[in-house]
Amino acid sequence: MGVTEKFKKDFNTFTWVLISVAIVLNIAVGQLVSLLKLPIFLDSIGTVLVGVLAGPWAGGIAGLLTNLIWGVISSPVAAAFAPVAMVIGIVAGLCAKFGMFKNWWTAILAGLIITVFNSVVAVPIRLYMFGGITGSGADFAMAYLLALGKDLFGSVVVTVFTANVIDKVATAVLVWAIIKGLPEKASARFPRLVRA
Amino acid sequence: MQRADLSLFIKGESCLHSVHPLSKLTYVLLTGVTVYCAPGGYLPAAILLGVNLLLAAISGILLQVWKFSWRTLLPLALFMIPIHGFLNPDNHTLLTSYHGVGLYLEGLVFAGRVLLQLAAVLCISLIFVFTTHPADLITSLTQAGLSASFAYILGSPLLLLPAMRERAKTIQDAQRARGLGSDGGVIKRIRSMAPLISPLILGAFAEIEQRAIALELRGFNSARTKTSLRVVPDSATQRAVRKLMLLVCLLLFIYKIVPYQYVSY
Repeated sequence: MGVTEKFKKDFNTFTWVLISVAIVLNIAVGQLVSLLKLPIFLDSIGTVLVGVLAGPWAGGIAGLLTNLIWGVISSPVAAAFAPVAMVIGIVAGLCAKFGMFKNWWTAILAGLIITVFNSVVAVPIRLYMFGGITGSGADFAMAYLLALGKDLFGSVVVTVFTANVIDKVATAVLVWAIIKGLPEKASARFPRLVRA
Repeated sequence: MQRADLSLFIKGESCLHSVHPLSKLTYVLLTGVTVYCAPGGYLPAAILLGVNLLLAAISGILLQVWKFSWRTLLPLALFMIPIHGFLNPDNHTLLTSYHGVGLYLEGLVFAGRVLLQLAAVLCISLIFVFTTHPADLITSLTQAGLSASFAYILGSPLLLLPAMRERAKTIQDAQRARGLGSDGGVIKRIRSMAPLISPLILGAFAEIEQRAIALELRGFNSARTKTSLRVVPDSATQRAVRKLMLLVCLLLFIYKIVPYQYVSY
């Protein structure tokens, strides 16, 4: 089976609708969670969910388009981080392929792996486009690290990693809980869930 | 009415409104590549910022662009200037100092350049978003050969979002009425995460199947080319200009990544 055919088989109408709903979930969940005043955004929960349910490619597309659409509707800065969101979806899909969303503790591990890859892509963007500063609370950490005498690159790496690790682990664990709680009728739709 | 509020598009009759969306998009790309890859330090960014502001003025959206950039760039500048001014590792030239805390030239120059680059890119992105109707963008992408499925996932979130936001608000109110605390200890707040999020996601899942069936009934999977009500005008000149801009992008990119010492002489 060629790559194109495999792609077509993975992407039936159901998958496309799933991706489009996940994009909206990413944006809507952020609004809900802000109520709790926790240092997490969960703005990639839909992306991770698609990665687990429909595979790495679908997850990558969901992440990429979330940030591009975000750019069109409210903040052009989000579009600059679209590659980061894409990597989150792809890595989540690959983790699910290796059965990392079966238990809560492997889900935590998956969250950590996602954070690592997330940082690898986010650091150059943050460093070269924004000089390490994005105007959020994480900038205080950045200032503190620079004051300690770390170089710019090191400070950005540490800041990005710490700002994301809690968020991505919480996202992964929530996704694990959600796919456990999916009604039979919905989960039967996803052959990948047997492995995940 | 809700749909009009959702995207940043501003109705207008200017020349930029009638330019093909892909031409504008290519120009956004060109601005980004030039600002970060072209030689000459801050100069290309400054020139492009000027040109882009002029474009905004011509299309009559200068005020909106100004307001929006201000909101985005001010918090960045507030962090950027002091952090780099005081703490940038490359700092050598002391400008002024107060009780042992010094403000340095290199950090300020660095912060200024980053802000200038961002301003140039942000300005043109805003012009693009303000003058391009999302539906026109999607139509032009489909006409350029993008599959209908892609056009669907680009377009449908814009239509779904108001309903989903409404539902998020309902869930929030309902859980509050049942005593869900949004204050209290951290543990308590973490615990209230699940009852807020899971109804939203499970509810959305229940709808996916219906939507998929509805789409298939309307020939979503049909391989035949779909016709569109919208017509996005394009011209041969614009197509040529787009190709030229892409070529310049490519050249600038190559210039940036190839180390000079192997190229010259």
